[in-house]
Amino acid sequence: MDFDWQHMLIELLVMPTLAFVVGLVMVLMARRLRARIERRVGPPFWQPLWDILKLYSKRTQVSHGHMHEISIIVLLGGMIAMEVFLPVPGFDTFAHHGDALTLIYLMMVPTLGMALGVSACANPNGSIGIARALTAMLAYDVPFIITVAGAAMLYGTTSLPEIIAIQQQQGLEGWGAVQMPLLALAALISMQAMLGKEPFEIYVAPAEIATGPMTEMSGKFLGSMFIMQCFQLYTVSVLYTTLFLGGGENWATFLIKIFVVVAIPMTLTNIFPRYKTEAVVAWLWKWPTAIALVGLFVVMMR
Amino acid sequence: MNQQNFPVQVAPLESCREPGPEERSMLRKVLDRVGQYCQSRSLFVLHYCTGCGAIELPPSMTSRFDLERVGMQPMVTPRQADILLITGYLSVKTLKRVILTYEQMQSPKYVMGFGSCTINGGMYWNSYATVKRLGDYIPVDTYIAGCMPRPEAIQQGFLDLIERIDGGRAVAWKDYYRNYDRYLGHQQHLFGRDWLTPTDVVGEAAHYRLAGDGTLGPHTALLDQYAGYHQAWGVPREQYAELEASS
Repeated sequence: MDFDWQHMLIELLVMPTLAFVVGLVMVLMARRLRARIERRVGPPFWQPLWDILKLYSKRTQVSHGHMHEISIIVLLGGMIAMEVFLPVPGFDTFAHHGDALTLIYLMMVPTLGMALGVSACANPNGSIGIARALTAMLAYDVPFIITVAGAAMLYGTTSLPEIIAIQQQQGLEGWGAVQMPLLALAALISMQAMLGKEPFEIYVAPAEIATGPMTEMSGKFLGSMFIMQCFQLYTVSVLYTTLFLGGGENWATFLIKIFVVVAIPMTLTNIFPRYKTEAVVAWLWKWPTAIALVGLFVVMMR
Repeated sequence: MNQQNFPVQVAPLESCREPGPEERSMLRKVLDRVGQYCQSRSLFVLHYCTGCGAIELPPSMTSRFDLERVGMQPMVTPRQADILLITGYLSVKTLKRVILTYEQMQSPKYVMGFGSCTINGGMYWNSYATVKRLGDYIPVDTYIAGCMPRPEAIQQGFLDLIERIDGGRAVAWKDYYRNYDRYLGHQQHLFGRDWLTPTDVVGEAAHYRLAGDGTLGPHTALLDQYAGYHQAWGVPREQYAELEASS
């Protein structure tokens, strides 16, 4: 494959920007959904952007040392690296060079970056929160990795653009969700945990540990966390769409698919309470893992 | 301003003042305007709900009146919050927590006093244990009169605050830095001479160039005097007094 530097540079700049903009709209959708479920009107259209700009325009900023500041760069850097490797319609130069395994590795970077920063803050709520976040990662990664392995077996490749191409050649019947419904279900559950939404919202838990890792974050640090949330929603939904919903033929269908994918956990989160930490681990290692293993067995038998 | 007492070297007062609107560059003006607008349209609220006013907040927040329409949402830690809501009376003991919370918040920050209790003590005026005027201890942007104010009044208060932030007029937080000595004096009057908070307000005022003539004074001098006592907090109070007397 020849290197088109100009095209690559454009992708490096455009893809994170696109991810941020789409992520902002996803955050808006999540908040509006919550409002509608609670029979409220909800925030105005520009609210997520105003929140972030406000946080960056704070006059005083509390920093807890160099590690606190570096951690934010690690966290956002990991996220931006992930956006670049995602295959979206029209931009998949980097996606051809990385694959699903690269993404699995990169997905751990933001959480680890957050752990670095929180340890610098020395806030007990933050420490509990990040311990819970890492425990949750241990819990949801098991069904998620089984799911990715199943998809890789079915399609015979871990390259995401190739997975999309195979699905799109076969039409609707070729979609991962039709070919391996059990794995799609398991991935949906682990996606809920990955986004940290109820019933797996153990590490934010505002009423219990005061938003956990974000307790000591103020101003630009919290603003970066808000940006990370936009990236997170986008990344997870694009990954799910790529593996199970045939990716995007064009931007219109692609956007519809990723917004539908995000709407599912965002709706469920408003009707569930929260599990305890050990219950999350037990539940995720029991049900989604069992479903994923059965799904993997079905895929291997074919 | 007394230069000798400052822990760090600060520029003289002339450069400490806010640049006037005619001195800012065009880009700076645009950025400030955008910042002000976003600050007015996105307010994270920290509720300090020890008083009875807390009962009026759920109707304001939930489906009946829905404050999220104007960009307000509850936040749980002072670091993330913009508005501190004092919903009702404060006892001497809870005022300590309010001051600690207020000092942890990041500027620009706004304080809202709910009901008569925060204005003049209200129905607790005769009580020995409650604080009469909240504005003596921390700078308050808006008071909402009433016992208790209805959700409509609360909303009106929020809308007024939003308008003032948008116009750049909600600057009570600067007063805490500029006249810290006065506020600290009132706090020491209640809590004793050795009252000390973990936040270094004088240092912050110097760092962000918000210091004024009233930042330092006789009360902040007491902070330095008792700093050693707080550093050696394992030493019993009587023993410390002896140590101090001998030195």
